[in-house]
Amino acid sequence: MNDNAFAAAISGKRAACCMKMVGLNVAADSFMSAAYIGNIGGFIIISCDDPGPHSSQTEQDSRMMARMGKVPVFDPASPEEAREMIKFGFHLSEEFQIPVLLRPAIRICHARQNIKYDKLESNITKAKFKRDPSRWASTPKFRFIQHKALNEKHVQIAKKFSTLTPYNMHTLINGKQYPFGIVTGGVPSSVVRDLFEEYKRDDIPVLKLGAPYPFPENLADEFMAACDKVLVIEETDTVIEYMLRDKHKTLGRLSGHVPMEGELLPEKIEALLNTALLDCALEPLSDSDCSREAFGLVGNLELPIRKPTLCPGCPHRASFYSIRKALPKAIFPSDIGCYTLGINLGVVDTVLDMGAGITMASGFWNAYIQDDVKKPIVATIGDSTFFHSGTTGLINAVYNDARFILVILDNHITAMTGMQPAITQGDRVDGRKGNAISLETIVKGCGVEYLKVVDPYDTRHMIKVVKEAAEYVNDPDGGIAVIISRHPCVIAFKDKAIPEKFEIEISDDCDDCGFCHLRFECPAMVRNDETKKTEINPVLCAQCGVCLQICPRNAIKKV
Amino acid sequence: MKTMNYVLSGLGGQGILFMTKIFATTALNKGYNILGAETHGMAQRGGSVVSHLRIGDAGSSLIRAGAADFLISMDESEAYRHLPYLKKGGKLFANAPSNAFPDERVAGYLDKMQIEPYAMEAAKTAMALGSPRSTNLAMIAFYSAFGVGPLSADDLRATVDSISPGPFKEKNLKIFDTCHETGRKIASGDAHGTF
Repeated sequence: MNDNAFAAAISGKRAACCMKMVGLNVAADSFMSAAYIGNIGGFIIISCDDPGPHSSQTEQDSRMMARMGKVPVFDPASPEEAREMIKFGFHLSEEFQIPVLLRPAIRICHARQNIKYDKLESNITKAKFKRDPSRWASTPKFRFIQHKALNEKHVQIAKKFSTLTPYNMHTLINGKQYPFGIVTGGVPSSVVRDLFEEYKRDDIPVLKLGAPYPFPENLADEFMAACDKVLVIEETDTVIEYMLRDKHKTLGRLSGHVPMEGELLPEKIEALLNTALLDCALEPLSDSDCSREAFGLVGNLELPIRKPTLCPGCPHRASFYSIRKALPKAIFPSDIGCYTLGINLGVVDTVLDMGAGITMASGFWNAYIQDDVKKPIVATIGDSTFFHSGTTGLINAVYNDARFILVILDNHITAMTGMQPAITQGDRVDGRKGNAISLETIVKGCGVEYLKVVDPYDTRHMIKVVKEAAEYVNDPDGGIAVIISRHPCVIAFKDKAIPEKFEIEISDDCDDCGFCHLRFECPAMVRNDETKKTEINPVLCAQCGVCLQICPRNAIKKV
Repeated sequence: MKTMNYVLSGLGGQGILFMTKIFATTALNKGYNILGAETHGMAQRGGSVVSHLRIGDAGSSLIRAGAADFLISMDESEAYRHLPYLKKGGKLFANAPSNAFPDERVAGYLDKMQIEPYAMEAAKTAMALGSPRSTNLAMIAFYSAFGVGPLSADDLRATVDSISPGPFKEKNLKIFDTCHETGRKIASGDAHGTF
């Protein structure tokens, strides 16, 4: 996507691409190179961070990527400020012919706010790419020159960022000296604002850095000179803290005042501010913390642990059940999507990054075969993830004769991230029809000779197919076996997914073994602690009927 | 107006985001600014779901623990889980049997913090009215009966009216009116709100 937007930007159009931080990792090559080459039309990369993390693999700080790539970065304090920064960012990007990064954290992205729009202007620039191979296809010799030019841009931008009110500003009163100040930016700066307003602490000056890189040296120097100590509150890493370059004056993560991991929730910021203020012999914001008592009290209530789980009727649950039933002793490398929750069913052993279900399956095979062990391996990957980053790994595995079963969980949609359409269905994100791409054709094109398509709702058949695939994998003339486990997502395609509804009851044969709710983990199955029997929650039950096939005592019956 | 902080909690699938939308839309219709933070994605699949909504001029989308004016929960356990967010003097509304709420283990804390707990069996009521997935509307209506906060019952009802799709409008308004009435009785001390 980064390449796509970059090409538009060097054709003179304004362009933006958005992703979360792990997406920026994938785009890193293009991101770094683009900064050297520069652009014509404004070019903004939006990379969202997930302090917590709430639904991501890492808590990495995209501002670090900005520094590594030498790309100016904006860190909005609210959705409204993100909107303003985008507008300013486009102007900056065009003025300096440099890509700009917007780094909104989760509390900006997963937020709801009323936004004021300025008059929207449509992009009237016509695409006009001017050939200039020495710039657009520059060789290392020219890269040196471009790097030098990039560094010169940074000096100019840093100056601009020193007077960039209200994104970069401080609240010092001229000539006044302070014992303590706060340096902050992004989401934490909005929390600090709320706290100081609530506790009426205008005695503590704040340096807000919503555009922290290139570092606004002049502004920061003014602030540091006026404060005896400063506390840096930023998410999620030590970007500003390092750039302040004064370890004697600076409190923050490196001094142990701010936690190194986890989201800086408002109550955490209040507590760490209190500690820092006390350490500097100043009055804290508040003296009592009732919420701490309440968290302790709640902790002792033994509230139900609600781990994320696959939805009732989810076809992935049926697939995982069959895979485990067929090959319980295999290694199960998996991937990133709803089906990562197969971990609860004991059929997801590894999750690394998108595509790693396949590449790690190759790696496990190679590791064991060095010791002459033919380890059974069943990799799982979703249809969307397969198209995103599965094919390269599969081609490599086929060509180098790794042996494993790959189950592609094809539910016709990108469910986990909010039901974006799948390219097998011919629906585009913008609502237009596209040319549907066949999963089977791609798999065969990767050199796979064994391909079966199953419906996971028929678990008996799927178990049989997985066992047959294992034989093919072990055959000296065999190879990689691919099974497409195809059934529509129950949330996105309710009627298509469950064409026949099964009304279910549980008979007296139920011996409370718990398989259906503990191992099969259907959320609609609940244990009644009084009767010591399983019951069905009719609100949650999707009536898919898969449970009729899985009860070890055959106690689940059709009404 | 001072910023009013709402913590809305429940389970994935109960319609917390729709509940948030009703409150937010009502506030916007009244001319207030809104800012809120919601749970999406991985955390939403069957897990506990929480939504923070701030009405007024707030900086941060998250409500600080100990700073919420109202906690409205569609599940009793999820009400307790988010209890630390309520401020002293805050109000707690839960989908729970009113004669057995709150759990005695938190009663002392609620007393000390002067938090008033109110409960009705919203899920059961919604189910009885033929709309088992409308616990969210039931809780909004229940809350609306107590006349607290910047949004009146009429304001909230008007939003439910305008936002409900045609075939559901009548049913939704019926749930609203029924649960508002249950709340009104409790608020005026007439009865315990078991439906």
